[in-house]
Amino acid sequence: MQPLFFLLLVLVTLILQTTALNYMVIYGFKPDLVLILVILNGFLRGTREGAFLGFSAGILQDLVSGGYFGLNAITEMVAGYLAGLGKDRLYRDNRVIAAGLTWVCTMGAQLIFYILLLSVDVPVPVVKALAYVILPTAFYNALVVLVIYAYLYRFYRGDPSSNGEYFNP
Amino acid sequence: MSRLSPRKTFFLLSIVVVIIIVGMHLSAGNTDKLTPFESTTRDVLSPVQRVVIVMGGKISDFVAFPVRLYKVSEHNRQLEQQVVELKEKLSRYNEIRAENIRLKEQLAFKTSLVGQLKTESAEVIGREADNWFSIAIINKGFASGIRQDMVVITPAGLVGRVTNVTDHTAEVLLITDPRSGVGCLVQENRAPGIVEGVAGGRGTVNMVNILSDLAPKKGNRVVTSGYGSVFPKGIPVGTVQVTRKEESGMFKTAVLETFVDFNRLEDVLVITSIKL
Repeated sequence: MQPLFFLLLVLVTLILQTTALNYMVIYGFKPDLVLILVILNGFLRGTREGAFLGFSAGILQDLVSGGYFGLNAITEMVAGYLAGLGKDRLYRDNRVIAAGLTWVCTMGAQLIFYILLLSVDVPVPVVKALAYVILPTAFYNALVVLVIYAYLYRFYRGDPSSNGEYFNP
Repeated sequence: MSRLSPRKTFFLLSIVVVIIIVGMHLSAGNTDKLTPFESTTRDVLSPVQRVVIVMGGKISDFVAFPVRLYKVSEHNRQLEQQVVELKEKLSRYNEIRAENIRLKEQLAFKTSLVGQLKTESAEVIGREADNWFSIAIINKGFASGIRQDMVVITPAGLVGRVTNVTDHTAEVLLITDPRSGVGCLVQENRAPGIVEGVAGGRGTVNMVNILSDLAPKKGNRVVTSGYGSVFPKGIPVGTVQVTRKEESGMFKTAVLETFVDFNRLEDVLVITSIKL
């Protein structure tokens, strides 16, 4: 997948995330589709592309959703990097492994988000953050990956640019 | 492209991250203003969002139809029973209302209750992208007379307030957002407190700083108090579920279930002026 195409996909996902996804809310929670894209992108491409495209996707999200500029950029950069660490260590052909990785990376990214929230003076008690936001989002994301991973993986495998040839800073 | 050494890349990256964190910290109190780029993005995206949210609603309705059908008959029976009870209540209410009007005229008394509000209706075309905050984007903006700090309600109760406005959209900070605070009081015993949102948006809010000897009971109603300049008096907020002691020991906190269903927020009313 070309980086520009990835960012376009992020934009479309972002619109879905703020609109139609509200009909997929379970007990007030919804999956974070943009984060899922960033994590799987990192997993299939490696740390460098994962972090860079995560950062770009985050900037895009910050622009569209307003609020604190940079919050999502940093969070999703971390998520992309974390997922990239799994590229050569984990077996790619198994969706359960991908879902497990998504769980871990979502937890990591949301913890970073929580710390950044404290730096912009939005106090959320740590127990509530874990119980009401971080853990449910991580489980929901992992569940979504279980369903969509096969399609996305096929999409990436059919594309020669997924070996990091386009981006060499 | 020339290749940078890993150390240089890391150094550049650290600088970018530090700049963003510092910038974010400094601009944290100033999120009420959108940059021109952000407001243009929002105005451009709003028709797309509106189409997608309407389509999503239709699809969701279609998929959930068999389940709803099953629930409807049970619901119908309950409603019929309620109608009987409410009819009886209504006749009493009419009596009391007539008396109230008469007494108010005698006293030349003025209130700012919901019946005297001038409103502009709007549709919700977008919600927050994450599970931390609770915001809604509505499809009316500056062009329709919406301004910052206007209060947003539904016929059921309080929704939130407008935080920033573009030409054709406005962002509403919902009362379930952890950044929101509303001065309220318990309708039954007039105990004042502040209603704050909880991260995670589960349709519950906390009413904090209630004096211990005025602790509300389960089922008590909470309405806005009108203290402070933003929210008018008497807008229903929610019912008390549980009351517990705060850590300091001096105050109590009540967990409220809101009257508005924030997971199904579709049409809202923005209060544009109050007729006194």
